[in-house]
Amino acid sequence: MGSILIVAETQAGAIREATNELVTMARGIAEASGREVKSLVIGSGVGDLASELASKGGGETLVVDDAKAADYNVDVWTASILTAVEASGADLVMISNTPTGWDVAPRIAAALDAAFVSDCFKISADGDNLSFHRRIFNGKLDAELSASGTAVVTVQPGALDAAEASSDGATKPLEVDLSGCKAKFIENKQADATGVDLTKADVIVSGGRGVGNPEKFSEVIQPLADILGGAMGASRPVVDAGWLPHNYQVGSSGQIVAPKLYVACGISGAIQHLVGMKGSNFILAINKDPDAPIFEVADLGVVADLFDIVPALTKALGEAKG
Amino acid sequence: MKVMVCLKQVPHQDARLDIRDDGMWIKEDSIKFEINSYDTYALEEALRIKDAGEAEVVVVSIGPDRVTQALRTALGMGADRAVHIKDDAADGSDSLGLAKLLAAVAKEENPDLILAGLMSDDTNLSAVPPMLSQLMGIPSASGVVKSEVLNGSMRVERELEGGALEVVELPRPCLISIQTGANQVRYASLKGIMQAKKKPVDVKTVEDLGLGGQVGAAGAKVTVSKIYHPPKGDSAEILEGSTDEIVSKLVGKIKELGLL
Repeated sequence: MGSILIVAETQAGAIREATNELVTMARGIAEASGREVKSLVIGSGVGDLASELASKGGGETLVVDDAKAADYNVDVWTASILTAVEASGADLVMISNTPTGWDVAPRIAAALDAAFVSDCFKISADGDNLSFHRRIFNGKLDAELSASGTAVVTVQPGALDAAEASSDGATKPLEVDLSGCKAKFIENKQADATGVDLTKADVIVSGGRGVGNPEKFSEVIQPLADILGGAMGASRPVVDAGWLPHNYQVGSSGQIVAPKLYVACGISGAIQHLVGMKGSNFILAINKDPDAPIFEVADLGVVADLFDIVPALTKALGEAKG
Repeated sequence: MKVMVCLKQVPHQDARLDIRDDGMWIKEDSIKFEINSYDTYALEEALRIKDAGEAEVVVVSIGPDRVTQALRTALGMGADRAVHIKDDAADGSDSLGLAKLLAAVAKEENPDLILAGLMSDDTNLSAVPPMLSQLMGIPSASGVVKSEVLNGSMRVERELEGGALEVVELPRPCLISIQTGANQVRYASLKGIMQAKKKPVDVKTVEDLGLGGQVGAAGAKVTVSKIYHPPKGDSAEILEGSTDEIVSKLVGKIKELGLL
């Protein structure tokens, strides 16, 4: 069988935690299926990081160290990964499902005419056979898939905890022809950060698509947040619809919060949202769909219409305060 | 400029998800369908490019008869032409199979720009658009929240984590996959809907596209073993009772947390 090739990501001068999670998962598959784990690091001035990964479970680590790779570039990464797949004899390529991963991994699969499965939270190996576990319908259903031949997979960041590992620390420079690269990195920037810093709130009451319209946010969600001395938040669909500005968004592309109390009203619980609030000390979810994925991370749940519960709760809290 | 937009028709986001007896997909007979939400933002992005200058917008979709409705909606919103890949032989295609079908159409259409949604609301694979760009040998950018047409290129902003954005420039022809919220999607006007009836919808088969035996279940390298409702296991304690009883328990819990 071919080896497993982990495509590493670096951020702020360090190997990303998501890459460490990949190493743990890859080593589990490697043990179960008798394969070798190898890694690839792409960047500029990344020799030290590559050595670190190579000694911490990454196995033999190929290094593409080039000024052209200083910032992420889809063409640089596609060329580098394809060269590395050939050099490493990999028939399983693993990448984290980050903005880099979802940008480049499918291109690799297409170039290799290979199987592709994204956002896996679990991969089970049974000798030569691999089963891939992921969610569909925005988190509502589980799916189990199988693949034949060479496979490129992306793994959900945070799906497992990274475990300590070690390997012999061998790194190897990889020459890649980057002359055909057409995409051009211009700059990184930050979206406008005006508004409430939700990360500082002790209590957050968030509304989702179930709230129905912007007026209901001020009529129903804000009063509950107010009575609890907290802040109001929102899920992505609310911001996409233009009901609230981006600074209210809780989730992977918004703010990651961990307040003492998080109340999710009419929020289904897509993974992007869960990533943003599952670290909360106590989570209360109110949703009329008993199968909403939000109930999987909540401590307490109410299966009911939020318009029946939330105003009544706000009133009762007002009375209790006296 | 010619802009090709890839659309997928998916189960309506509030559709009941009942699992088929063979466990491989959901029951489709009594649910409503709609254009994948991510693709509506891609279509809107294409229509804005058309509004701003000279552009022809061609929408392409793969699927059975019901997909015609999605294409008519897109034409009603302002797209000029539609291509419908309709063939049972395409059933069971994996992402790469779908990308190959779209690439075959793209090779005939030769667009300056291809737009698609970042992922679909049903499979959430986010696979087809970058695959299509690789097959076409053109650069791509995924998860775009802002795009600008420059002379011979596209300047786009990709959404990263935590509010960060990456600005990249791609020479055309190129492919961009659009993230939700990139724009505000328009409704089809009554005039638009009437005009849509006269706009051409070309139907293509797998053979027409020269992909016999390469797509569909026969060509698929990924297969679904089963889909199922997640096991309840370690999830929330669900409160029972009347509204008053529930509210009373919630007030008690909030007091317990020291937050009253």
